[in-house]
Amino acid sequence: MSASRWPARLHLPTFGALLAVVAVWSLLSWRYGAYLLPSPLSVVRGFADIVGSGEVWTHTGASLARILVGFGGAVLVAVLTGLAAFLSRLARGVVHDALAVLNSTSVFVWIVISIIWFGLSNWAPIFTTFMITLPVVASNIVEGVEQVDRRLLEMGDVYRLSGGEKFRAVVIPSTLPYLMAGMKVGFGLALKVSVVAEIFGVTSGIGYIMNYSREILATQMVFVWALVMILVMMLTDKLVFDAVSRRLARWR
Amino acid sequence: MALKLQVAGVGKDYLIPVIDSVAFGVEAGEFVCVLGPNGCGKTTLLRIIGGLEPATRGEVLLDGKPVVAGDAHDRKVGVVFQEDRLLPWMTLAENVALVLKPLGLSPAERRAVARRQLALAGLAGFETYYPGRVSGGMRQRAAIARALAIEPDVLLMDEPFGALDAQNRRIMQNEVRRIWKETGRTILFVTHSIEEAVAIGTTLVMMSARPARIRELITNDGAIPRGELIERLNTMIMEEVERQQGGAPLG
Ligand SMILES: Nc1ncnc2c1ncn2[C@@H]1O[C@H](COP(=O)(O)OP(=O)(O)O)[C@@H](O)[C@H]1O
Ligand SMILES: [Mg+2]
Repeated sequence: MSASRWPARLHLPTFGALLAVVAVWSLLSWRYGAYLLPSPLSVVRGFADIVGSGEVWTHTGASLARILVGFGGAVLVAVLTGLAAFLSRLARGVVHDALAVLNSTSVFVWIVISIIWFGLSNWAPIFTTFMITLPVVASNIVEGVEQVDRRLLEMGDVYRLSGGEKFRAVVIPSTLPYLMAGMKVGFGLALKVSVVAEIFGVTSGIGYIMNYSREILATQMVFVWALVMILVMMLTDKLVFDAVSRRLARWR
Repeated sequence: MALKLQVAGVGKDYLIPVIDSVAFGVEAGEFVCVLGPNGCGKTTLLRIIGGLEPATRGEVLLDGKPVVAGDAHDRKVGVVFQEDRLLPWMTLAENVALVLKPLGLSPAERRAVARRQLALAGLAGFETYYPGRVSGGMRQRAAIARALAIEPDVLLMDEPFGALDAQNRRIMQNEVRRIWKETGRTILFVTHSIEEAVAIGTTLVMMSARPARIRELITNDGAIPRGELIERLNTMIMEEVERQQGGAPLG
């Protein structure tokens, strides 16, 4: 890594803007007090505290575990849905309509229903995450399936490839980029949604601890956990989704 | 001698009758070029012969056995489409090796055949390239290598050089002609270029305007001087293009 690349990587204008924001933030914090707007320094200190105590891992881990189940389940069902849409024109129509309905349902609907159905338990945020991310991931896969080049499938017919071989050689590679795009958006949504659902009835997770911090008037911790969320989001994007997408696109 | 391929009164209707009735026979090792105005049904005919499309009338016999669309027949037919139809996420060698799977070859054998066929098509050294990283001419050559790899009884080619520039086209014509001489395959080659057909075909089939019939079947054995032949074919195709534009309600 050459030294000359660092300014570019840090993106100097962004860095400048950040400095300006911190300056204004400090000023406003000083003017309105730490309850309404804690100072940047107290947020940094709070962040160091939870990293030091390991609390950051407890709550982030709890949130991620719920996301893993809810979002993972959504991806699984979405893949099966895509498969059905690929195999049957009839199923494709039904899936389209079902996704249109799911896509226009609010997060809040699922939070309320999940509390009624699952009570104040882990399953409430898991179910909410599942219901919200399912249509996003499934829409992408179904679109990917529809974009599969029929001419390539016909090429498979010419050479008498079996159904399984055509699926492996043609359908999966052309659908994967759509799945990855859907998963990237879906994961972001999962993180945002599960955190909201965690306000109710569970005693761990980023959403829970943010709401708890508010109740005990520790506003700086609300900011700290927001920062944790942002970091989780950016890191998974860079380390997981961008890396996988790059690998998938190596033939381009 | 028994015919390799027999097209017996084949016709096809879509919304309009596209092919009225076409009949001709092809002996093993012949290089047949099919000519005709745009939209007269050349692609349709090739797809029927390849078993990709059912005929409305008549039938196609390959080694005396009927070709049924959608049915897996044991005769091997290679098809080179107007587009290369390579899988962009597979290397050239993987693309060729893929079509050898149904033939029951081991992975090592498949790799070896792919190497050999790509070399034959002038692509030695490009085995591990992805299609997006080579030129259009090279992609089309890889598609031809793929079609030859299954050692097809009959090779069907639908304007395979349509997307190439004049120079690459010339190179590919020589290439196909050389491969044909070396392998002795039976080839059916659709083109709308008369020069191309006269340059590479042993038999020329001139189709009429839609609904298509065979206007003339010419043995290209040098009996007619090349220039005169080209001129005659040009006159014919102009007449057919005019008839198609004037007569048919759909363009
Ligand atoms: N699948 C199809 N459905 C309806 N019409 C078709 C179909 N395929 C081809 N045609 C029509 O048949 C005619 C011949 O097409 P084609 O065989 O592609 O001609 P050529 O290859 O000689 O240019 C055209 O008028 C075209 O519109
Ligand atoms: Mg055509």
